[in-house]
Parts: sequence; C-alpha cells; structure tokens
Amino acid sequence: MKSTITKISSVLVNARFTARVTALAAFAAFTLASAAWAAPTPQEILAASDVVRNPDYPFGLTNTLVEYRNGKQTDTSTLAVYSRADANSGQFRSLIRYIAPARDANKLILFSGKDLWFYDPSSKASIRMSPQQRLLGQASNGDVVTVNLAKDYQATSAVEEDTQDGDRQTKHCNKLSLSASTPDATYHHIEMWIEVGNNHPVKAKFFSESGKLLKTAYYRRYEKQLGIDRPTETVIIDGLDPSWVTVMRYSNLVKRDVPEIWLQRDYLPRFKPE
Amino acid sequence: MLNRKYVASQRFICIATASLCLITASHSHAADKSDDADLSALALADQLPSQVQANSNWRMFAEAAVGSSHQRSGGSQDNQDNRGNQGNRRLSFDVQYDGSVATGWRAVFSDRLDIDSPAQGNALSNSARENGINTIKEAYISWAVQPNTMLDLGRINVRNGVALGYNPTDYFRSGAQRSVVSADPVSMRENRQGSIMLRAQSLWDGGSFTAIASPELASDRNTATFNPDVAATNSRSRYLFTLSQRVADGITPQVLLFKDAQHPVQWGLNVTALLNDSTVAYFEWSGGQNSSSLNQAYRAQNIPVIDDQQFRHHLASGVTYTTSSKISLTAELQYNGSGLDQSAWKNLPTQSLPLYGLYRGALQNSQESPTQRAAFFYGTWQDVGISHLDLSAMQRMDLDDQSRMTWCEVRYHLNQLEWALQWQHNGGSRFSQYGAAPRIDTVQASVRYFF
Repeated sequence: MKSTITKISSVLVNARFTARVTALAAFAAFTLASAAWAAPTPQEILAASDVVRNPDYPFGLTNTLVEYRNGKQTDTSTLAVYSRADANSGQFRSLIRYIAPARDANKLILFSGKDLWFYDPSSKASIRMSPQQRLLGQASNGDVVTVNLAKDYQATSAVEEDTQDGDRQTKHCNKLSLSASTPDATYHHIEMWIEVGNNHPVKAKFFSESGKLLKTAYYRRYEKQLGIDRPTETVIIDGLDPSWVTVMRYSNLVKRDVPEIWLQRDYLPRFKPE
Repeated sequence: MLNRKYVASQRFICIATASLCLITASHSHAADKSDDADLSALALADQLPSQVQANSNWRMFAEAAVGSSHQRSGGSQDNQDNRGNQGNRRLSFDVQYDGSVATGWRAVFSDRLDIDSPAQGNALSNSARENGINTIKEAYISWAVQPNTMLDLGRINVRNGVALGYNPTDYFRSGAQRSVVSADPVSMRENRQGSIMLRAQSLWDGGSFTAIASPELASDRNTATFNPDVAATNSRSRYLFTLSQRVADGITPQVLLFKDAQHPVQWGLNVTALLNDSTVAYFEWSGGQNSSSLNQAYRAQNIPVIDDQQFRHHLASGVTYTTSSKISLTAELQYNGSGLDQSAWKNLPTQSLPLYGLYRGALQNSQESPTQRAAFFYGTWQDVGISHLDLSAMQRMDLDDQSRMTWCEVRYHLNQLEWALQWQHNGGSRFSQYGAAPRIDTVQASVRYFF
C-alpha cells in the first residue's frame, strides 16, 4: 500500500514536473517566436532598403541621365559608375566617368566622402571640389543613387501609410523620417517611403537644414538585377523648380572589382577600365 | 452680459474654424500642385527611350574663330587698318585617342592643328612663323606591369600642381607651349606638347610614387608646322620623382623632387584642404638653389654674368569658394623668387632695351613671370540665366608694376556644338608685364563642333 502510494506520488510528482517543464518550454518558444516576428525598427527598414538599391559588393553600372525643363529635353549625359563601399564607414565611394556628351567624354569625378576630385584628360587638370559643388547640377544626383542612407542617417520614426509610386500605383509603405547622423551626410533631413513587406524604396524627399525641399525622387522600373528586384530608374524632381526633372536610368549593372587604388587622385590620369 | 460673451465666443469659434479651413485648403492646394508636378515628371519619364550611349575611344572637334585686336603702335602690319586694329582668323582641329590595344596595354594619342591668319608670333626669332602649328600633345604607350604598377613610354603631357593661375611644381611646362589660342589657363594646359619620357608609377591605397626620366634628344629648335620640335621639350635631361601619401582624412600631400641637367635639385610640395563645405584651399611650393631668371637668360645667350645663385622660393596659394548659385570664385597669391624685384624690374628697360627684350623672350619659354609678386582671380558661373550658358572671367595682376590682364568669356554649349565670345585687355605702363603686350584689346568669337 505504502509502496503504491509512493509510486502514485512519484508519478504525480513526475507529471507535475513534466507539466511545468513543458509549460516553461512552451513559454520560451512563444517568446522566441514573438521576438522573431517583432516589427523591424525604422533603422532596420532603412538598411534593408539600402540593400535593395545597391549591392553590398563592388559593382559597375551605366547611368543615362536625361534632363527636362518645362517639359522639354534640355540635356542628356551618360555616365559609367564604379562603386565600392568603404570598409570603415560602409559608405559608397565612386568613380564616375563621362561617356557622353562628346564635350565631356572621359572626364572623371571621384567621390570619396568629402574628398571630391574632378579630372579633365584634355588639360590634365585634377581639381579638388567642395561638397557644395557636389550639390550643383548632376553631380548631386549621384547621392540619390549610390549611397547607403543607413550609414549617414538615423531613421527616427516609421509610420505606415499609402502612397503613389512612380507608376502611379498605390503602395502600402513605411514612411521613415531620417535625420543626418554624420558630418558626411549631404542632406539635413529625408522623408522616405519604403514598401511594407519587400522593403522596396518607393519615394524620397530630401530637405535642407532650413527645411526647404531640395528634391523628390521616385524609384521605379523594378527588375531582377544581381539576384534581387532593384529599381532601374530614378525620377528626380527639383524641389525649388519642379519643372526641372532628371530621369536616371541604370543599365549594365554588374558585379566587378573596383580596386582601392582607383579611388584616389593620382590614379585618375590613368583610369581606363576594360 | 452672458449673451455678449456667448456671441463673442461663437464669433471666435467661427473665425478659428474658418482660419483652419483656409490653412487646410492652402496646404491641400500646395499638396495638389506638388502632386501635379510629380505626375507630370513621371509622365515625362515614361517617354524616355531605352537606348544607351556607347563609349568611344575617340574625341574629336573642329573649331573656327574670328577676332579683332587693337594693337599697340609698331605691331604687325598684317590685316592692320589705320586705327591699329588687326583682324585674325583661326581654324583648329583636335583629336584624342585613348584605347586598350591588348590586355594590360594602352595607347594614347592627342594632337591639335591650329591654322592662324595672320600667323602667331615666333618667340624664338623675329622672323615670321608659318600659319599652321601642329602640336603633338601626347603619343605614348602604357603597360600595366601589375594592376598597381604601370610603365609609360613616349611623349607625355605631365602636369603637376594644385594651383590655378601659376604652377611652380609644373616642371615640364618649360618649352611646352607651342600654340596660344586663349589666355584661359585651362586652354593653355590643354594645348601644350608633352615631353618625351619614360614614366613609372606605383599606387597603393592612399598613395603613389612616380619616377620620370626625360632624356636630352635634340638641341635645335624647329617651329615648322608639322615638325615635332623635340628640342623644345627635350633639349636637356630632366628627372622627376613624386610621392603622395594620405596623412589624414582628406589630406594627401604630394612631395616632388626635380632635377635637370642645368640646374640644382628643386623640391616641391602640393597640398589641398577643405576649409568648409563650400571652400577649398590649396598651397603649391617649389624651392631650391637657383640663379635669377635674368641671369639664366643672359647665360643662355653666353652673356657673362655674376653668379647670383641662392635658395629661391616659388609659391602659389589660394582658395576657391562655391556658392549655391553655381558661382565659383578663386583668389590666388603668387610669388616667383627668381623674378626681379620692383626696382630692378623698373630699371631694366632704361638700362638696356635689348636686354629687356632678351629677358621677356626667355620667359615666354619658361612661362615664368618677370617679377616676383602677383595676384590671380578667376570666376565661373554656370547656367547664367539660361541652361548651358557659362560665364568665366579672370584677372592677373602684377603687384610689382601694377599692370593687369583681364579676360572674360561667355560660352553656350549644347551636346555637340559650342559658341564662345572672349574679350581680353592688357593694361599697364609701357614696359610693364602686361602693358608691353602687343595687343591692348582682343575680341574673339568661336564655334566648336564635336564629332
């Protein structure tokens, strides 16, 4: 009898222990699963959108820019872009070569943080540029393309809202508010709409320190490039003069070696990619 | 009283509500306008064709120019009317090729032909020059021994220096200017012949080392139209070693060591820095034991002189400021330690006019200033009023004789065509640096077509 009670007691004890362990395990699993399914932070969304726009390895592409003023085409340029992310800052450093128009053919611009150089093969002149010159003309639009926003900006908020994309379709997006977090950041403040689910950049507005809208960019014509869907066209609308529109279309996106030695002033006179 | 208060509060509510409606409508209207602008822009982008411009190894253009200059008395009689005005015409052809000929091998060729009427002046003699001047700017092959090590052999236009108006470290500029079509320093750098040399360069992350050997190959100058005029650039052996190394974020100084057969070693330093987001500062210096430019001119003509060799400095330092309106302004101070000081320069023409002329002629080849102190200002303004219309202006001031050269240009450019209008004025006393120039005022219109 006593042994039976003991057996029953031990079974009951074992059963309670097992139940407790099972409950604990279930709770732990639920917690882990909840953590896995927790909403990404604004900064994580921003970083994910950077990956959509730019590969995280050195690459080259051709950028065809067409400029419109008051609805009429006024300028067109074709640039070859060679980019790699800096090992320390994670920000892209780029070498831009003009293919067209003929008057600018083979001129080079080197973007390496605040170290900016212009090289003219005709005069052999290497001229250092200021970041202000980077904001003028088409040089500024490179910022909209090859830049890791998550490195230079802090996403301070994310609000879900619907917006029209570059194809006039309604997209459900996270609207991020970005503030410059490093001295190298070109813009003081950015608003960015990133599609929920796939982190595709849809639209962005770039602001100066005074709050003036400098430009609006639409990312569109998504195509499979280097393994994932990426925007192959950016439409930029000048904030001060909305009739000034620049369309940048990217082609020939390839993974390629962009050696560190290319990204310095002394290499510019002999730059000649295959 | 209560009724009045009630009516007052109701009025306030109405006014506040109306204001709110106005503000909301205004924002909504602005947002609608913004949306309309976006939609228009996107509609434009929808029409963009898919073609992509292909790269070309060639760059060619032809340029035609006509002009008129007001001459000082005693100038050339060609095309000169009674008022001392001289007309001139020019036709130019420029071709550049830069292509890979095999894996690791590259060929570069750049040439320019200027046909002037009347012919440009001959700095070597008082005799007339041929109307055509062909300048072989570059003709060399390059071999990438390794991805970061290259060898170049041939005629190479090596240009050093970070300053804009005067480059003391541009050691290979001497004898390089064969044809002068504009006072614009950019044009003068474009249209000069390279020196025949062997060049080796090694690059690493943040730096590079370059070694150049340019041998003596000829001694007799020849300014005939298609003569390569090797003696202009290779009449003596020259060696240049250059080391660049990044020392801080955004600071990469360049140190140079130059030696030619006729002069002691010269040292050089180039450095640039960002003062703020709108301003670039630069400093260029060269120094070493050397005779004065006047002594060098005398010795070149075998005129005996007392040796005045000493350590001499040459420097150019300035800043470039860029505004948000696409205006860039450069101010530069220059010092030439081999030039004459103020009193020596003032006294030279009164001591001996032939020696004055000899001195000025020798400096045309070396591209040095006759005096010690100068200032340089340069400005550019892109898209002045309309797109593709650029304005450039420059002034060189000799601070020792107060003479000035002023130049400005308006250039309108499309994809393949450019039009330019240039004006230049030389002012100063009779024997001053710019006051002695044969042309007081020059106006030139040109059109350039890119193939």
